[in-house]
Amino acid sequence: TAVISPQDPTLLIGSSLLATCSVHGDPPGATAEGLYWTLNGRRLPPELSRVLNASTLALALANLNGSRQQSGDNLVCHARDGSILAGSCLYVGLPPEKPVNISCWSKNMKDLTCRWTPGAHGETFLHTNYSLKYKLRWYGQDNTCEEYHTVGPHSCHIPKDLALFTPYEIWVEATNRLGSARSDVLTLDILDVVTTDPPPDVHVSRVGGLEDQLSVRWVSPPALKDFLFQAKYQIRYRVEDSVDWKVVDDVSNQTSCRLAGLKPGTVYFVQVRCNPFGIYGSKKAGIWSEWSHPTAASTPRSERSGPGGGACEPRGGEPSSGPVRRELKQFLGWLKKHAYCSNLSFRLYDQWRAWMQKSHKTRNQDEGILPSGRRGTARGPAR
Amino acid sequence: LPPPAHLCLLTLLSPPLSSAAPTSPAEPISQAYSLALYMQKNTSMLLQTYLQYQGSPFSDSGFSAPELQLSSLPPATAFFKTWRALDDGERLSLAQGAFLALTQHLQLVRDDQSDLNPGSPILLAQLGTARLRAQGLLGNMAAIMTALGLPMPPEEDTLELVAFGASAFERKCRGYVVTREYGHWTDRAVRDLALLKAKYPA
Repeated sequence: TAVISPQDPTLLIGSSLLATCSVHGDPPGATAEGLYWTLNGRRLPPELSRVLNASTLALALANLNGSRQQSGDNLVCHARDGSILAGSCLYVGLPPEKPVNISCWSKNMKDLTCRWTPGAHGETFLHTNYSLKYKLRWYGQDNTCEEYHTVGPHSCHIPKDLALFTPYEIWVEATNRLGSARSDVLTLDILDVVTTDPPPDVHVSRVGGLEDQLSVRWVSPPALKDFLFQAKYQIRYRVEDSVDWKVVDDVSNQTSCRLAGLKPGTVYFVQVRCNPFGIYGSKKAGIWSEWSHPTAASTPRSERSGPGGGACEPRGGEPSSGPVRRELKQFLGWLKKHAYCSNLSFRLYDQWRAWMQKSHKTRNQDEGILPSGRRGTARGPAR
Repeated sequence: LPPPAHLCLLTLLSPPLSSAAPTSPAEPISQAYSLALYMQKNTSMLLQTYLQYQGSPFSDSGFSAPELQLSSLPPATAFFKTWRALDDGERLSLAQGAFLALTQHLQLVRDDQSDLNPGSPILLAQLGTARLRAQGLLGNMAAIMTALGLPMPPEEDTLELVAFGASAFERKCRGYVVTREYGHWTDRAVRDLALLKAKYPA
């Protein structure tokens, strides 16, 4: 048998190590003659070894690299025939850096989830243990979070026993074999970091035959029903093959909104998110939820104006566009875009358009079939 | 026949429940044999997974260090003639002793690895599963012994206290020997149970 010294040393990257392999016992007469070293399976150059005495082989390593695996580098002393006589695990790395960017949120005003980033240089080559700690700012002892990795590798979830309307101090401690580091302290009140799940049941639908509008409807997130809060919502939408989102801000406490000024015959993706601001009468905003899953809908195709084509039949649908009407339509569209979700103008506009469709239909029936030249814009074969 | 008569007929045809008469060992032998075969399919994967996590030279392909042994684990190898001539009681007793030692060693290795390789759920799960299966096999073998009217060997604590002071490298080697011997003893259990299966046919 043999023994390597030191056993399981912990070293800083770049440091040196002097190790010895001492044989003794059976077989009697065993000597250091013919022994050799390997590190992580690779034979070390003989110039690094030295026979100290009859039963001891020494090794000098310099400028050590970070450990290849967390269980330690394997330094092994082999007999002449290659068999393993003894070994020692080397732990070479760096002490941890201060964890940074702690962010926390509460989903239901009872729990707290926090996330952080390990210190700037990342790789310490040693297993580093992170511990999230918290305490009431003015009172009491430190508590340690116990449910780790809930939303990624550097996260923790505190499920209960948290007070409201009073500040907490929160920090992260990182420890490994070479030392420890502590993040800056984050101070917060649970009520200031409340967020919700995204609004469920987002539905996007057409508004009758209106080609430039879509109606978005959603449900208020159920979790905060009892919390006397006012929700703010944000809607964003984009055309199917674009990456530019248009955002509708300032949607307060409603659960529906009409998007206008859209392109006809186009597929839109729509998402909604919620901010539970004003919890228990506070004036502060909460944290925006994630965006809801994208919901898609398409605007109806516009009627085409132009001479005689088969595609532009009125079919009891849209009245044909005249120049005055087109401008009016554009004005109203602009009005809607810049006066969000103003119900007054929508209703009026819809009523007017519905009246236009009806009156156009009756006018057709009254006047019968006319040659296309008679009207301002051409239509297909009249019915 | 009306439905109640059907049931009557079925009850008459089913085998009578045995009371004091010794049960046939064929059933528990067959079960133990199936379990051992099932275990055998996974033993080399356990060894390979284990070696992967220890780093080189353990993780080198074809790694083998027969010189590494544990005195607390009985050897699975035996002279063929001796092994073949074992009587039922000795055969089962040796296997029981080995798997009992293996369940204790697998627990120790799992504890060691959760310290040496903390972020390795796959390895830890496989070690846990191996231990559970070994326990299952112990149960099946106890059933065979009961069926054969043989006395149960006492449960012994096979691990000496000195095992606790091991260095990281010693623990890595220990896990290698345990997972290797688990494979060897499973191979032997398949052979032992095949012999018994032939001796006590259903």
